Amino acid sequence: MLEISALNKAYQSPGRRVEAIRSITLGVGAGELVCVVGPSGCGKTTLLRCVAGLLPASGGEVRLDGVPVTGPPPRMAVVFQEYGRSLFPWMTVRQNVELPLKEKRVPAARRRELVTGSLEAVGLADAADAHPWQLSGGMQQRVAIARAVAYEPQVLLMDEPFAAVDAQTRADLEDLILRLWRDLEVTTLFVTHDIDEAVYLGQRVIVLSSSPTEVMEDLKIDLPPGRDQLTTRSLPRFGELRGHVYRQIQRARGER
Amino acid sequence: MRAVRLLALPALLVLLWWAVSGSSFYLPSPLRVGQAFAETWFSERLTDDVLPSVGRLLMGYAAAGLLGVGLGVPIGSSPRLRATLEPVLEFFRAIPPPVLVPLIMLLAGIDTPMKVLVIVSGCLWPILLNTVEGVRALDEVLADTCRMYGVRGLARLRRLVLPGAAPQIMTGLRQALSIGIILMVISEMFASSSGLGFTIVLFQRQFQIAEMWSGILLLGLLGLGLSALFRRVERRVLSWYYGSGAARA
Repeated sequence: MLEISALNKAYQSPGRRVEAIRSITLGVGAGELVCVVGPSGCGKTTLLRCVAGLLPASGGEVRLDGVPVTGPPPRMAVVFQEYGRSLFPWMTVRQNVELPLKEKRVPAARRRELVTGSLEAVGLADAADAHPWQLSGGMQQRVAIARAVAYEPQVLLMDEPFAAVDAQTRADLEDLILRLWRDLEVTTLFVTHDIDEAVYLGQRVIVLSSSPTEVMEDLKIDLPPGRDQLTTRSLPRFGELRGHVYRQIQRARGER
Repeated sequence: MRAVRLLALPALLVLLWWAVSGSSFYLPSPLRVGQAFAETWFSERLTDDVLPSVGRLLMGYAAAGLLGVGLGVPIGSSPRLRATLEPVLEFFRAIPPPVLVPLIMLLAGIDTPMKVLVIVSGCLWPILLNTVEGVRALDEVLADTCRMYGVRGLARLRRLVLPGAAPQIMTGLRQALSIGIILMVISEMFASSSGLGFTIVLFQRQFQIAEMWSGILLLGLLGLGLSALFRRVERRVLSWYYGSGAARA
């Protein structure tokens, strides 16, 4: 479904070339949920922006269904970390969710259906006419998720979407993502710096090295599929996997 | 209570004026100026001088607004265009518009086009430069969001660029409004035979001192009225902006 092969990204400025990503190769199968973790400053966001077609790669390529990505693909949605800046403050919640559908020329009746459905799915049916700044951070991020879901994407990219919300909200949002992913069977690439979150959510966890970035490990998470904040997180296997990823990241840090 | 606070200082100033008036020929009493105000401005001067002046002001202001936003959006969107044009724009802005009056008179004569052009030449710069700045500083995450969800072209202009730059554009428009009033008067002081500015100069030359004062009073009231009107429009256009500001604070 999503193929990233030998992706390289260097930032060029006069007299200086900084290699952010050396070479990343990884694939995400249809309907899979893959988490990407790495030490801070390892170019996770750069990777995601390249995959989204927002940033041109310096080498290698990204293919979606076999088609090279040269700009934002029509059936891809992104949830950004900065929820406060990714929603239009001059629009209501409903208008924010509806705008991409209007641009996609979705007929009005279907649009209403999608907007209502996705707002219900994230538990914000009552807030449709509020403005984003009237909502809490966690609720704002829910709006961004609802917007992505209503867009009916093939691929959902998430760039540290819960980095800026408090721990309780974060657990709720993680379960929300798991539920939406299961219900919609949408291929998801989830970038995070949080090891627990990666192990809890992912079917696979990709561990990145520090910059210039390479893939250190592609780890299959063999936890039972029905994940639950309490039981999953207290499984011995969860602890082992988390410990393993943690050691890998410590190693990645130490190497440079 | 609010009305009292609002009117206390003006009332005090009028009392003070009353107290010191009469001591000089050039400073008539408020009563005398009030009489002159009613006699002078509630007459055919309203339609012959005041309304044409205000009409030219609004015409020039609207033209400057369209031109400033229309040019500011492409300049703000393109770093290359901006780098080329910005020093020149700053230069033009630095020229005090009144000194352009003689030049514009040569080019456009002494009638309405000249006066409107003078107003445009002064109002344009704050609107243009603020629009450029507003468009340049659009939020990158919002811009990425638009790219991701295929919001481009006119929709992008309507949904992202104009509302995003609106706080800055309104700042430019507010600055331009006061410049416009000044230039409205100045454009009428040169080679003119009607208008508010002309009338005030005429009264001064004919030593109709109370009438002259009443003209100044009218200009002050006009400015006050226009800026109150502007504030209402601004509150409406930027309601989300004030709302989010209040939520953040």
